[in-house]
Amino acid sequence: MLVLSRRVGESVVVGDDVTITVLEVRGDVVRVGIDAPRSVRVHRAELLAELASSNQESASPARDAVASLAQALRERS
Amino acid sequence: MIVSVVPSQAQEEHAAMSAAMSGATPGQFAPEPVDIPVIELVHPMPGFPSERRYTLVKLDDDGTLCALRSLEREDLEFVVVPPLTFYPAYAPEIGDDVVADLGVEQAADVLVLLIVHAGADLASTTVNLRAPLLVNLATRRAAQVLLDDPDLPVAAPLVA
Repeated sequence: MLVLSRRVGESVVVGDDVTITVLEVRGDVVRVGIDAPRSVRVHRAELLAELASSNQESASPARDAVASLAQALRERS
Repeated sequence: MIVSVVPSQAQEEHAAMSAAMSGATPGQFAPEPVDIPVIELVHPMPGFPSERRYTLVKLDDDGTLCALRSLEREDLEFVVVPPLTFYPAYAPEIGDDVVADLGVEQAADVLVLLIVHAGADLASTTVNLRAPLLVNLATRRAAQVLLDDPDLPVAAPLVA
């Protein structure tokens, strides 16, 4: 991992068109601004991790779980 | 922009499309699930970085319950549902990046599916409202889109 020290107002440039700027440092919170083309998806890491684990828990449910879900939905309608 | 909701209109610019969509009635024009032999994910689903090709199969006659099956990994499948039955007001807003990725030309082409986490019973079964799967029926390109709205839960009850 590349480690850089930056002051408020200073930036790093990633590739040709992504700029990350330190906007504010207050206590243990750092606010960063990310300037990137719309094609570059930017997400908080923990949200992606939550989504990955949700997908993994949802994947390939047991056959009888799906059958009973289908049955429950039929009875409901 | 609200994708699931708009009558087909010829729009040249995505920006014009976004503007045209914002006042529509949720659900009204949402396409219903159909069997789709091959769906190509433009980005793999988080947690499953190697699988990009799936097929969509209806598990019942009315398409309330569907299976999204990997064409690359035999044991991998997801249960998905269209939101209309369970969350009729659900109308995800997506950005121009997603519109471009999926090659969306009209919102009426976009099939919205929620990924189901099947619990032990109906009461403990949840759906992911934060990251729906969007399928462009015209191009058969799809993506699981992480929405910006922090109020949408990753695990919402399928039925209240």
